[in-house]
Amino acid sequence: MTKKVAQLLFTVFSTTALFWLLSTSLGPAPPLGSFLSPSSGFWTNAPVNAPPDKSISLSSDVLSDTVQVVFDDQQIPHIFAQNDRDLYFAQGYITARERLWQMEFQTHAAAGRLSEILGNRTVAFDRYQRRIGMTYAAERALEGMMENPETAQAVKAYAAGVNAWITSLDQREYPLEYKILDYGPEQWTPLKTALLLKNMTYTLAGSNQDLRMSNTRALLGDEFIKNVLNVQPALNDPVIPDSKKWGFTPLQTRQPDSTFTPSIAQDIPPFQPNPNNGSNNWAVSGSKTASGYPILANDPHLGMTLPSIWYAMQLHSPEQNVMGVSLPGAPSIIVGFNEDAAWGTTNVSADVWDWYEITFRDSTLSEYRYDGQWKSTLQRVEKIKVKGTKTIIDTVTYTHHGPVVQTSGSESMRTHIPKFHAMRWIAYEKSNELQYFLEINKANDYKEYRQALRHFESPAQNWVFADRSDIALTVAGKYPLKWKYQGRYIGDGSNPKYDWQGWIPFDQIPSVKNPDRGFVSSANQDPTGDAYPYYLDDDFAPYERGRRINERLASMDDITVKDMQRLQMDSFNYHAKTVLPKLLETLLTDTLSPDKQQAITGLANWNYYNKGNQIAPSVFDYWWDTLNNEIWGDEYQSAKVPLQRPARDQTAQLILSDSTLQWYDDINTTHKETLSDLINRSFHQAFQQLEESLGSYGDTWKWGYVNNTNIGHLGRMPGMGQPDVFTDGGAESINAVRGSHGPSWRMVVELGPEVKAYGLYPGGQSGNPGSKYYDNMIDDWAEGKLYPLWFMKQPPAERDSVRYSIVLH
Amino acid sequence: MILAILLALSAWLLSFVLPWWSLAIPAVVLGALLGTSGGHSFGFGALGIGAWWLIHTLYIHIANDGILTGRIADLFSLPHPSLVILITVIIGGLTGGLATLTGYLFRTTFLK
Repeated sequence: MTKKVAQLLFTVFSTTALFWLLSTSLGPAPPLGSFLSPSSGFWTNAPVNAPPDKSISLSSDVLSDTVQVVFDDQQIPHIFAQNDRDLYFAQGYITARERLWQMEFQTHAAAGRLSEILGNRTVAFDRYQRRIGMTYAAERALEGMMENPETAQAVKAYAAGVNAWITSLDQREYPLEYKILDYGPEQWTPLKTALLLKNMTYTLAGSNQDLRMSNTRALLGDEFIKNVLNVQPALNDPVIPDSKKWGFTPLQTRQPDSTFTPSIAQDIPPFQPNPNNGSNNWAVSGSKTASGYPILANDPHLGMTLPSIWYAMQLHSPEQNVMGVSLPGAPSIIVGFNEDAAWGTTNVSADVWDWYEITFRDSTLSEYRYDGQWKSTLQRVEKIKVKGTKTIIDTVTYTHHGPVVQTSGSESMRTHIPKFHAMRWIAYEKSNELQYFLEINKANDYKEYRQALRHFESPAQNWVFADRSDIALTVAGKYPLKWKYQGRYIGDGSNPKYDWQGWIPFDQIPSVKNPDRGFVSSANQDPTGDAYPYYLDDDFAPYERGRRINERLASMDDITVKDMQRLQMDSFNYHAKTVLPKLLETLLTDTLSPDKQQAITGLANWNYYNKGNQIAPSVFDYWWDTLNNEIWGDEYQSAKVPLQRPARDQTAQLILSDSTLQWYDDINTTHKETLSDLINRSFHQAFQQLEESLGSYGDTWKWGYVNNTNIGHLGRMPGMGQPDVFTDGGAESINAVRGSHGPSWRMVVELGPEVKAYGLYPGGQSGNPGSKYYDNMIDDWAEGKLYPLWFMKQPPAERDSVRYSIVLH
Repeated sequence: MILAILLALSAWLLSFVLPWWSLAIPAVVLGALLGTSGGHSFGFGALGIGAWWLIHTLYIHIANDGILTGRIADLFSLPHPSLVILITVIIGGLTGGLATLTGYLFRTTFLK
């Protein structure tokens, strides 16, 4: 009897322990019982060709009429609604159905709320997001959105649609990532849409060189700035052609009499946005095309992730018919076309983020010096919830410039330092970009395009436009009125002359319509030539892509969609063409090993196209990087502070124009190095590095491998991305695939009586890693294919190419 | 054998309305009613849940072309997708077996 009881007790204990263990999250792993169970775990996230619901009933009053959603072969939804409110509701509902986890994760990240999901490891990230005021910025944007009845309706309807989907979900139907991270979705709000849009501002206009420039000036002096960092490469080809006349009197600015020297703040972690965040767009006028109607092309370059940043869809109501890509989390189409017009974008990296040195009255940070008086600060309390531990309270001090990002407080030891820095950022302005998107979606001519643009403030974008007769480009955005070079260095936060002094009036913002050359284009380069009277920034993308596009477009006639597709895939490396002949001519080749001889022959015969299956682009890439480091590394590593490096095209310009600069000498040696020494030395070093990382000279050196294009998961989960995509391209090419950055959406639209549009992006429509539509477009994207986009005028009759359709009512 | 079949069926039906651990309910009950020995109860309990989980996951694996099992294998650094199925089945079997054995021992201890 006792034995039996003992046996029973032991078994009950083991069984309970097993079930408890399987219900508990161990480390980063989810509770294994529910995760592995075939009826509730990840298994239920594997699509198994079950037919989707054809008809979905929503609770009685959410839709005013039935909405039909047709999914085509590429899994693109075409939404047909009877009014705009229902349309945006359905957009939210369908987007959430495919991308819910991504929508919530991105907005949690933007708001500095990742620790709620991921625990301690993301606290530092969250704190930074809070301290730069992301939620503050989003709240301002939300105010702007809610003041306008149309955007308020759209964003509320969209949220209601997302929530209708969330409410319909049973725990076992949660997207895979929720199960892996063991949490569930919360309600969607309009604030999240605002966070998403502000996050785009962060991605595209989160740029500033103030600290780097201040340090560089302190270390290397004004002469260096003038002779190196102010170099304008001769091949610069601005967005707005130089022939443009600026027929207005510019507003005046008040400039300080003397230069402010900041007490250099070495402990600010400077944010450097990825320099590969570039993009191309252009439109050619009917006079240059085979059809006689304009063609517009766009490929925005961003970090490429899965699920993809874009979601393609068509929105149709009696008030509009528009197609293109949307951002999951925001109503409307961001880049696309309607029956009359098309539009696309590239980034304008204007200087809209400035740092100010602040003198506080005392350690309470409650007052600071401004215009000869003490001015009060505001405090904003941030509560960072952390999974598995207690909430962190962080108080952020705001000056009239913006938040004081790095303070002592509880997390720093430097309570004795009286000077802190405040940041001023365009994202803090109340704005309503959504109004631009809603209006451009319905715009049918140039006038309406310009009218819509008045609402577009940040992140500043080159919005290209084409309708049946006009082409245009506007360097659109809200630009602070500044004196020349204002905000290039850390400014004096107590002097009003360092404040932003108003805004450049909309009508004086650079733009161009139907220029004589028959095309408009942009590739993140300098927006204007020197004649433009306002200062926007001194740090735009190198000229290479922009110049290449302009040269190619100028030489083309009878242009077809195919020509534009080929131009998007153009991998010509303008940088190599400019600088490689000089390198080869300087290299001493008498004593080279056979492998090196072969590499040099390859380079000499190279046509400067960054083809994936060639070796020459790899050798050049390594050689250039090594040479660049040989020239600047000694000076730049002599001080352990962040410094501003010359741009690629500036260094190339110096190499070509002057081989005797003092910067060529390695300051760490007694020997006096010359440019020729550096070119030779760097070739051998680069070759050695290639051998060390890839083995001896051969197929493993092909550019497609060296370029290392990995499309990773948004939440960096192993197994959920697509590594090693083999493709052409490079940072200096129109086809700007560089590592994991590249054309995140390629689109070509031919205007005309019937719009013909083509596009695809490196990912798939589904956000579910278990679906074949999660990454199905990547291979075709790598090869440069474009899919015809089925732009419907009305719901199609049932035919083969409709995968399925659903009715919401 | 009848124990395994009844267990698989009832646990599967319960899984539509209750969480994953609900398989323990029919396992304990059936172990108490039909178990003939410790080994018999554990074995057929394990077989019932293990076989159900095996058939269910194999069907999903095949119908999904192995896309998700492959990704989950990568996520947990497993060298082969079939290990994801194997681990699932072992865990299912272990829970089914232990719960059924518990039921059987309850009966033999308290009810004779």
